[in-house]
Amino acid sequence: MLHFYLAGINNQNFLMRDRETGTWWQQITGKAIYGPLQGAALDLVLSDELTFGQWRTESPSGQVLAPVAKYTKEYDSNWEPDVAKLPVVISFPGTELKSRDVVIGLTIDGAARSYPWETFAKQSPVLDRVNGTPLLLVLGPDGKSFRVFLARIDGHDAEFFLQANSSADPAAHNKDWTMLDTTTASQWNFQGCATSGPAQGKCLARIPALKDYWFDWRNYHPDTTVYKR
Amino acid sequence: MSVPAPSTPQLQTPQTDRQGRRISFCLWTIFSLCALSAIAFFFIPTFIIRPFRYQAPRALFLAMSLRQRAPLGTLIAALTCFVLAFALWRTASRWRKALLTLTLLVVTFSAVVARLNYFEWMFHPIAGPQFLAQADSKLDPKEMIMSVRLGGDARAYPISQMAYHHILNDVVGGVPITVTY
Repeated sequence: MLHFYLAGINNQNFLMRDRETGTWWQQITGKAIYGPLQGAALDLVLSDELTFGQWRTESPSGQVLAPVAKYTKEYDSNWEPDVAKLPVVISFPGTELKSRDVVIGLTIDGAARSYPWETFAKQSPVLDRVNGTPLLLVLGPDGKSFRVFLARIDGHDAEFFLQANSSADPAAHNKDWTMLDTTTASQWNFQGCATSGPAQGKCLARIPALKDYWFDWRNYHPDTTVYKR
Repeated sequence: MSVPAPSTPQLQTPQTDRQGRRISFCLWTIFSLCALSAIAFFFIPTFIIRPFRYQAPRALFLAMSLRQRAPLGTLIAALTCFVLAFALWRTASRWRKALLTLTLLVVTFSAVVARLNYFEWMFHPIAGPQFLAQADSKLDPKEMIMSVRLGGDARAYPISQMAYHHILNDVVGGVPITVTY
């Protein structure tokens, strides 16, 4: 078991080292880039980026990291616009996006694709295929949370759309938010589970995805394609 | 009538002088090299991996390999510097003594800071993470969190907190994880 600490910065993606071996690891890839464990890679744990409100409804017995009293002054609830103002040190002129554009990045069998956040949010749910794998990207009822699923029910590709009155509403948490699939006409919640209809009780497989800045995603995925509606 | 001084010491002195100067030159050279390497071990990686600067792959590799060896490297270099400075001190002129002192200070600084993680001075780690039941959290429902669910345990890490600490070691549902932002 390794314990990691912040050890440096590599083009605004941080470097960490573990106390046990002193190996250097890259944050975004989880790969050991220098030191005794060079070449090793950490397993990625499936995680979500959600609003606290969304997570609370899904995880009644969940636990929240407590703020450390000594550092509450350092916490910045306005981090997103604040970070966006910081300069960038790498850029990819001539690519479709600007350095600080937010994308959802994912990789299917080695093929990387990024979805510009603005396009995604306007169009959600997004149905797409990467390397033949059918994907469903969906914006949560709060208009801020997102998840990516494998768009397959019992091995059959499926299509999804939002049920009427299920538009994302950042102001009010929309409790009636549901998706429908065109294959079984079941109702699905934001966790990717069918709540009623023939598929009731089934859940879609999750696809790991990262919300990232374009420059960072592009730097570590030089062959990434960019989704266009 | 003056007695001429014995000739032998007269002949010996310049020879000893030349020898002494050669030894002293060697010692000064070794001292300078040790001092430079102690300084390089600390300052080169610090210069390369500073924020808001482009890190080229080869420069980064150099930075990591120096930083990896810095604790031992700076220690050996600094100790050698101290021994040499002690040997050079008696014969050194006043300005050379000042140079020795100043160099020793910089070398000591390198050896000390090579053992410290100044990134953790900018972004303090969470020593013993505490968790709240979600009902006890004062977090605004609109705030963004990162979450995981492992072995039936659900955890939320507010991004406002993680954007400062950057990294947290945790065990969720028996699985050791590191949370990064």
